[in-house]
Amino acid sequence: MSDKPHEHKPAPMVDEVSDFEALEIAVRELAIEKGLFSAEDHRRWTEYVHTLGPLPAARLVAKAWLDPEYKKLAVTDGVKASLEVGVDWINSPPTGFGTPSDYCNLRVLEDTPKLKHVVVCTLCSCYPRPILGQSPEWYRTPNYRRRLVRWPRQVLAEFGLQLPPDIEIRVADSNQKTRYMVMPTRPAGTEGWSEEQLAEIVTRDCLIGVAVPKPGVKANAKRPVHPAVHPVHHDH
Amino acid sequence: MKTSHYDRAHHAKKATGVGDPQCFKGEAGLAKFKVGDRVRIKDLPDLFYSRCQVYTRGAVGVVIVVVYESPAPEDEAWDNTDKSEWFYCVKFRQKDLWPEYPDLYANDTVETEFSERWLEKA
Repeated sequence: MSDKPHEHKPAPMVDEVSDFEALEIAVRELAIEKGLFSAEDHRRWTEYVHTLGPLPAARLVAKAWLDPEYKKLAVTDGVKASLEVGVDWINSPPTGFGTPSDYCNLRVLEDTPKLKHVVVCTLCSCYPRPILGQSPEWYRTPNYRRRLVRWPRQVLAEFGLQLPPDIEIRVADSNQKTRYMVMPTRPAGTEGWSEEQLAEIVTRDCLIGVAVPKPGVKANAKRPVHPAVHPVHHDH
Repeated sequence: MKTSHYDRAHHAKKATGVGDPQCFKGEAGLAKFKVGDRVRIKDLPDLFYSRCQVYTRGAVGVVIVVVYESPAPEDEAWDNTDKSEWFYCVKFRQKDLWPEYPDLYANDTVETEFSERWLEKA
């Protein structure tokens, strides 16, 4: 053993390319070689996707809280309602027809005082990206996906959301071409607020359904990171 | 030698400016089920590809929305898009999916979608 004191290097978050990333790169390069799309198309698409965020969905909810007619439209035709907050599901993405992960069928799930929705995709990680942007890392983890559908109350409690038994929790498992977002109930203490003020408290987590809006809370709660029980040791 | 030509852009041509699943509207004929119908999820073979979750197989739920028409993913995965089906959003009681689900939370539910081939009247 060396006499030098053990040097403690922080382990990098991602220190190797996963099998799926290697597969994606291989398929992408083959598709480009075959002429299915060009490298330029791929760059344009990637850049477009990274411009998206949850703001339009927050505005949709705030608008629906203020305007009962708009709320009706949002619940019956999410794609049409999205137009009023600047999201054109059908025409604006570079492909002009959505992609297999952004099919053009948005359903807005309306919470009531007795019903709370929460969204998951147990089969992969389907997410309404045109109106919510990229999904958070935890949404894509097998941990969230396999547990939410079976132990929703326990998983929500881990997000800090504990609901009484008389409230029905409805998990929406996005397994086909419908994409879901949650319209939470308007919290007390927001009387007389403007659309902008209301939109600020509708965070991404509220739109997935793992949190409820609260006056004064404008950011997603920090996810605690627990140390692994059997951590992987890096020798290098 | 004549080379065969397969039009790989046929889906893009059909869906651009219309949307998917909107581009399959009107192709599936009459819907077999309606909102409120009780349905059982069939346990069909899924050798190659399926989007019908194993946890729903054999369970009984209620149709809450008749959503859209589209080829089933079992076909679409292989680019067989000439036969559309109706899709249904079905709601289950958690208790019917997971027998150990606590009685205290008997109100809790799950909703998810199925193409018509997976459903039978219950």
